[in-house]
Amino acid sequence: MEPILRIHDVVKKFGEVVALDHCSFEIEPGTITGLIGPNGAGKTTLFNLITGVLEPDHGHIYLKGEKITGKKPYEIARRGVGRTYQIIRVFPKMTLLENLIVVGRGMERRLIERAMGLLRFVKLDEKRNDYASDLSFGQQKLLSLAQVLMPDPQLVLLDEPAAGINPTLQNDLMALIHQLNEEGKTFIIVEHDMNVIMNHCQNAIALNYGQKIAEGSCSVIQKDERLLEHYFGR
Amino acid sequence: MKNRIWFGIAILMIFLISVPFVASDYWVTLLTLILIFTVYAAGWNLFSGLTGYTNFGLAWFIGVSGYVSSLLIADYGLYWLFAWPIGATFTSFVSIGVGYILLRIKGVYFAISMVALTEGTRELFGTEYLSPMTHGGKGVPFVAGISLSTLYWAILLLAVITLVLCYKITSSKFGLRLLAIREDEQAAETLGIHTTKDKIIAFVLSAFLVGLAGAIHFTYQNYIDPSFAFSIHLTLTPIVMTLFGGVGTVFGPVIGATLFTFIHEILWAELTLLYMAIFGGILMTLILFFPQGLLGWMKERGILPRIRKI
Repeated sequence: MEPILRIHDVVKKFGEVVALDHCSFEIEPGTITGLIGPNGAGKTTLFNLITGVLEPDHGHIYLKGEKITGKKPYEIARRGVGRTYQIIRVFPKMTLLENLIVVGRGMERRLIERAMGLLRFVKLDEKRNDYASDLSFGQQKLLSLAQVLMPDPQLVLLDEPAAGINPTLQNDLMALIHQLNEEGKTFIIVEHDMNVIMNHCQNAIALNYGQKIAEGSCSVIQKDERLLEHYFGR
Repeated sequence: MKNRIWFGIAILMIFLISVPFVASDYWVTLLTLILIFTVYAAGWNLFSGLTGYTNFGLAWFIGVSGYVSSLLIADYGLYWLFAWPIGATFTSFVSIGVGYILLRIKGVYFAISMVALTEGTRELFGTEYLSPMTHGGKGVPFVAGISLSTLYWAILLLAVITLVLCYKITSSKFGLRLLAIREDEQAAETLGIHTTKDKIIAFVLSAFLVGLAGAIHFTYQNYIDPSFAFSIHLTLTPIVMTLFGGVGTVFGPVIGATLFTFIHEILWAELTLLYMAIFGGILMTLILFFPQGLLGWMKERGILPRIRKI
């Protein structure tokens, strides 16, 4: 099967700092992949490169076989890539319904239906006319997920979806992700909590100092000596 | 409820249309100025109120369109009805280029660059080099051959069109996208919104409406010169009016322009020497206690529903 995402020999430097150093990997459609590594390993930079917020200095990124390097963020989003941020970035002074409708594409009537469906999905439909800024932190994370799903992306990048929310909500959120995955969506998840990665991802990719240091199924990666050394400082 | 609103609008429109028949020239003049500033304020709000890009170059729209239309009337004898839209269309076209370059700059830097553009254009229009075309710093006196009543009806029509447009846009998906740009532009873009395109459309639309009002403004004054056409007051007054009425609301600018002009008029007539001091006091009070403007405050307190259509 053709990979949904292919990162090919990507380099990104910020001045002297090499954030990504000849990084290459592929993501199969329909998988959940964990992206792990210590702070500053290049995980968020990688998301910024995939979504077109940054451009690589070297190498290319392919989405469903099509080269997307150099494309604008909105063009990449319209090709089916959705992304949430580590710091929640919903639109605070807009209502929940508006937050979703604004990013939807198509007829307004259909959009309202779809938005309501997604709000029910994340159990926020009763608050549809509240401002997003009135929600709790965890609820904003759920709203942010619903918002990303609104344009029906095939590839969803989640930057620390479970961080800072209580375990119950965390379980709800992961259950939603599994449900969407079964419907055929592909996920890449950046996460510091190794339990989340091991329990919920099929594959994992480990980065350190911008280099890929390990890749494979979670059960294999868990035993990787180099990774354990880097990640846990053993 | 809906019928009552339409009935109220109809009564107000009949009243406004009949003003030149029943009231003195003083009132027609005052209303003309209110309507001109309503379009300036609503036009500013349409772009800046929704996108959050503070445009401190409103006078640039006004001045460029005012100059083009005034010169067409004064030197080429063009009929006002044609000169006005040509002035506004010219301004919109130049705004596409200006928007394309300057709308990449965010926050306070965009505001400053618009001030610089206005000041630079003012200097340019006043130079000797361009004086064969612009008459330089000495200005252009002209008579357009339009009666005060006709001019009043023209600006009334423009103000109504502007408000209908603002109403439609603010409650549309396009309006929501502009709000998303105000809230978080980068997030909006990674969610698939073509922010550059939306910003430029709103900027150019604002330029057209404000430019048209600017052309009417200088025809009304029968005179234009660079320091008058590109005056910082033409930028600041509509902004203050919008803050007064409610940024990002549909009817805030018209309420702001009306109240502001009346207060200004009363203070100026009654307390000529103190009026600037009192005016400053009122402004500070408003900004301290009603930072969202009158309509914003009423929405927050639940006096008005929290919907985008108001």
